[in-house]
Amino acid sequence: MRFLDLLTMSVNNLRRRKLRTALTVLGVIIGTASIVVMISLGIGLNELNRELIESFGSLTAIEVRGEYYWGDNDGSADPNYLTDDLAADISRMDHVVSVYPLLEADAIFIQGKNSMDAQIIGAPRGYLEQITLGEGGMPDEKTQELELIYGNAVLQWFSDGKGGSAYWRTGELPDVDLMGRPVFVIFDTDAYYQSQWGNSEQPVKAPKKYMIKTAGVVEGEVNDYNEYAYSVYADLDLLKAQLRKVFRKNPIPRQPTNKKGKPFRYFIYSSMVVNVDKIEHVEGVQKQLTDMGFQASSRAEWMEQSEKQSGMIQAVLGGIGAVSLFVAAIGIANTMMMSIYERTKEIGVMKVLGCDMGAIRNMFLIESGFIGLMGGVTGVAISYGISMALNRLLRIGESLTGMAGDISRIPLWLVAMAVVFAVLVGMVAGFFPAMRAMKLSPLAAIRNE
Amino acid sequence: MQNTKKPIIQVRNLYKIYKVGTNKVYALNGVDFTIFKGEFCAIVGPSGSGKSTLLNMLAGLEKPSKGEIVIAGKHLEKMTENQLVGFRREHVGFIFQSYNLIKTLNAVENVALPLSFRGVPKKVRNEKAKKYLKLVGLEKQMKHMANAMSGGQQQRVGIARALVLKPKIIFADEPTGNLDSKTTMEVLALMRRIVREQSQTLIMVTHDNHLASYADRQFHIVDGKIYKIEECHHDERDEEELAVFSAKIHEEAAQKDKENVLTVRKVRGDGPPETGTAGIISEKADIRDLEEQ
Repeated sequence: MRFLDLLTMSVNNLRRRKLRTALTVLGVIIGTASIVVMISLGIGLNELNRELIESFGSLTAIEVRGEYYWGDNDGSADPNYLTDDLAADISRMDHVVSVYPLLEADAIFIQGKNSMDAQIIGAPRGYLEQITLGEGGMPDEKTQELELIYGNAVLQWFSDGKGGSAYWRTGELPDVDLMGRPVFVIFDTDAYYQSQWGNSEQPVKAPKKYMIKTAGVVEGEVNDYNEYAYSVYADLDLLKAQLRKVFRKNPIPRQPTNKKGKPFRYFIYSSMVVNVDKIEHVEGVQKQLTDMGFQASSRAEWMEQSEKQSGMIQAVLGGIGAVSLFVAAIGIANTMMMSIYERTKEIGVMKVLGCDMGAIRNMFLIESGFIGLMGGVTGVAISYGISMALNRLLRIGESLTGMAGDISRIPLWLVAMAVVFAVLVGMVAGFFPAMRAMKLSPLAAIRNE
Repeated sequence: MQNTKKPIIQVRNLYKIYKVGTNKVYALNGVDFTIFKGEFCAIVGPSGSGKSTLLNMLAGLEKPSKGEIVIAGKHLEKMTENQLVGFRREHVGFIFQSYNLIKTLNAVENVALPLSFRGVPKKVRNEKAKKYLKLVGLEKQMKHMANAMSGGQQQRVGIARALVLKPKIIFADEPTGNLDSKTTMEVLALMRRIVREQSQTLIMVTHDNHLASYADRQFHIVDGKIYKIEECHHDERDEEELAVFSAKIHEEAAQKDKENVLTVRKVRGDGPPETGTAGIISEKADIRDLEEQ
């Protein structure tokens, strides 16, 4: 029998029992809609969470710290220093997209009577380009002059000499204009403190101040948190050159020394950021790095935990929805059973006339599958309506996380899955009735009532 | 008519035993016969004689307890249920006592149904169905739904449905059992004419000796055994007589229908009556006519 003929027959059979079909379909609609809405809530929660975590920084980045960073090496073992060679090694690992070594240097920033202590972080250009700037722009690529990018929250730290942060004490921002007026930077902080507060018997000459241009300021208000809010950033190579120029042969602060107490000829980084291509690979790369003896951490860990949690929520929500679809499946089975009892004679006649047993089974499977399809499609359409109401009218997402975002999200795969699942449920529910129809005796047709 | 007699159905030592509690009931108790191609055979017997059981087994609807059924060289008793369905689809037409049309389909669709089981495309099968409906004289009722037709008309559709497959064998289980005697003659004549024309084999089950006498051979069954086989030789004149007879009846019936409708209109005198009522009344009139005869 041709498939098209089977289909027409099945659809006609459904059409001749409109009310019963409609009621059965209604069951599937409710089942599908509840599953889709529940799962969409789970997905929404999960994605809201991810967005929240992503706002704290990239999820595919791993932060690596060296074992021995502070102080001198005691000489018992070769320390695991973060060097350029290591960065090159790591960047050759699988799934690693880029490696950004970060060099930290202490500095004192002065403008007028205001001054602050902060860290300058030297980073490769690729790292700097991730920063969203509110004012100014990236340092000119060709310039050999050091330029700085200030975090949006550093203004909090300026002190007017009366002790502590002016902002925290008075609640007013200090009279500092990073972009408009020049900022002086002192790199040799030890010498500066000694010249200020050291004993007067051995006066120390005040270190040299450098006027360094401000390239830009990170986007955000002084109270807004982001990954780059509290530091000052500079191009790695230019910072290295600047430090060499300032300290010459003297050891650079925060750089370790070798066994003889001499500084290394190369820079040793405080940390590195390893960027991985996909979030799935973060764990693997991170493990490799810890195995190499480094402390590696990533936000993916955090994410993973929260994902586990929301996976559980999703399963519970989906389960609640599945119960109603299960009830709908029983409804389908019941409807099909009724329909087979009604049509016993008809089925018998068809068998006598030579209708294939498989064709009879398929006819009933198509019928129940069609109930599933209609219920599935309508159910998905209704889910979109419910989802829209949850997102637009109730704004549950915002009240839950404090971030703008939809709590109910229906991705296309969920739509496709829901429809396929509904059809499948229909066919599974219709399977035993269909088998029963197939096995009905053709003699029922001959029997005269 | 049949000079070279080719056997198409051979039944050997056929038994059908039902178990009722601890008792064994022999519905068929050792039946042997051969039916040749192009024959019109009647299986006659009182109710409970096993004639329907025999027909069911010939059509592969029931499994024999013992014995052989060979149709067109194939052993039916060895086939699986699905093979039997396929066998019926290819070789067998079936006419039922209670017509058994699919109520939700119209005449054409009903006739085309077995063709759709064979996978014939819709256009082709509807074409064929129309041809066969014309053959049984239902040009005007092609689009009628099954239950909007009279018994005689429904049985004609049933006959067309059995013929449309061009089967080698047609089984008819009391095909006229639910029809009045006038329509019975019509239907019988129709079946015989078409089967003769296409040289198909027709096997009819009936309890009516008179109807059976129209067959070429009659198998009389009593208590599960063939008790005698009667051969009736119908010559060409007989054929014509039956044809003329049925044609005359047909005409008369048409005439009466008209008259009845007219009388009803006259009696009621209130415009055109509902056709349904007229139909019922005309049927009643028919019955009265029969009683008078």
